[in-house]
Amino acid sequence: MAETYPINIWINEERFEKLKAANLADMAVDRLGGMKVIQVQCTEKQKDKILKLFPMAKFDTATTKSIELLPREVKDKIFDITLKLKSIGPEVMDEFLKSLD
Amino acid sequence: MTDFIGHGEKEIKERILNPGEAKNKIKNLVSVEISGRIARECIDLGYGFFTPLEGFMKKADVDSVCKKMSLADGTIWPIPIVFDISSQEVSEKGIRVGDVILLTRMGNPLAVLEVEEIFTYDKDEMAQAVLGTIDAKHPGVRMIGRMQDTFIGGKVTLVNEPQFNPPFDRFFYTPRQLREEFKKRGWVRIVAHQTRNVPHTGHEWLMKGAWFCAHGEAPVIGDKDEIKLGTGVLVNCIIGPKRTGDYIDEAIVLAHQALHEGRYFRDDVHMVSITCWDMRYAGPKEAIFHAILRTNLGCTHHMFGRDHAGVGDYYGTYDAHRIFDQLPPGSLNIKPVRVLEWWYCPLCGEVTYSGLCGHTKERQKFSGTLIRSIIKDGVKPTRIIMRPEVFDVVMECAERYGFGSPFCTEEYLAKRGPVFVVPPLD
Ligand SMILES: [Zn+2]
Repeated sequence: MAETYPINIWINEERFEKLKAANLADMAVDRLGGMKVIQVQCTEKQKDKILKLFPMAKFDTATTKSIELLPREVKDKIFDITLKLKSIGPEVMDEFLKSLD
Repeated sequence: MTDFIGHGEKEIKERILNPGEAKNKIKNLVSVEISGRIARECIDLGYGFFTPLEGFMKKADVDSVCKKMSLADGTIWPIPIVFDISSQEVSEKGIRVGDVILLTRMGNPLAVLEVEEIFTYDKDEMAQAVLGTIDAKHPGVRMIGRMQDTFIGGKVTLVNEPQFNPPFDRFFYTPRQLREEFKKRGWVRIVAHQTRNVPHTGHEWLMKGAWFCAHGEAPVIGDKDEIKLGTGVLVNCIIGPKRTGDYIDEAIVLAHQALHEGRYFRDDVHMVSITCWDMRYAGPKEAIFHAILRTNLGCTHHMFGRDHAGVGDYYGTYDAHRIFDQLPPGSLNIKPVRVLEWWYCPLCGEVTYSGLCGHTKERQKFSGTLIRSIIKDGVKPTRIIMRPEVFDVVMECAERYGFGSPFCTEEYLAKRGPVFVVPPLD
């Protein structure tokens, strides 16, 4: 499988409640000192497109290989799509990118 | 007098004229409007932060710093401190050796510069020598590249003192003031923590670990609950130019103070301060510069973590540790405290030290990027990662100073209040 790059969506109580309600609490993994995160995967192509659309975002090449510093509203939207599709695969970002067109 | 000996065994002297003298001195002087960096460096020179320097370097010093990492007289010094100006301005204003010129910031008089030498220096050569690269992606290279084509060397004297604005004002101490403050507190061992970051618990432990190192040899004075420690951490926040995505200065300073007010550090072991300095990101050489700066502040120890003052992949993770072993003995009057990494380990159940915890597979490393990602999402970190008081202050600062963001945005950079102003000299 081709390499994918995650977008970290950090889980606060509100997001965790939503995950539980959708039976998706298992998606959240323990990342740092009990902080929970879901990692929505991007393909190389999706990653490049996101970085172009959101110039403030950063691809952290050094440590985490993740796409960071996306605005909170963007993450909220991606999170909602995750809930809807019950997935963290590249189809989430497909739908997100489609919604921007 | 012995309380005020700085780097190179030289006394820390303030070079400041009183207002009456100043008004007379600046009459009829040719004036030059200066950049933010030069203004900050004039302030540093005037108060003795750069002891033994009394002004901007002349060519012999610049050359010696570049080639031998020392001033022309042999004192260790790793970074050129230079006054740059365009040759056009020099000729248009008829500036000559022997003149005294007035330096203004935002139109107001800040300092006078005695023109002792006017010279040129190859900027690529300077960048290569100090930074080890001329790659324009390196921010220090870009900074040198932006300098004008001509340099003026000579002594600097402040004719007007800067006024620091809230919330910075209560954290600004001159070297002499800091030393007086340490004396008042009875601190004899002071370990400097250099920062441009909002502290997570990894930083907190860097400071605590460095405190243990500095304090380890201290004799026990007093008894039971009355033990007098005499060892302190000086958090020294660097105030300089900002880039989008950096933490806003207000959040950095007040978040460190929040650790203090939240009692994660006792009153008698910790204090927060600021110093103006434009980072060169010179890695190991900048580490030596930081050691010199904090010697002048009165510190006895300086904590260095991984990638100190580095950027990108230009320097090795621990180059800034190793460079201290290459200095001739006795060339610095401060002890480097060289620290590896603190990380969170779910098996140890705590923030622990990479040099101790053997759970290398399970350990969770702190990453500035991840912490920023969490804060950007507005999600409150667990208290073992970031103290709630720190997070709350960061969010308050975002609203109060950051136009909604704890990170510098274009809007913040355009509209933020200045850290200090140079008032008119009436
Ligand atoms: Zn462990």
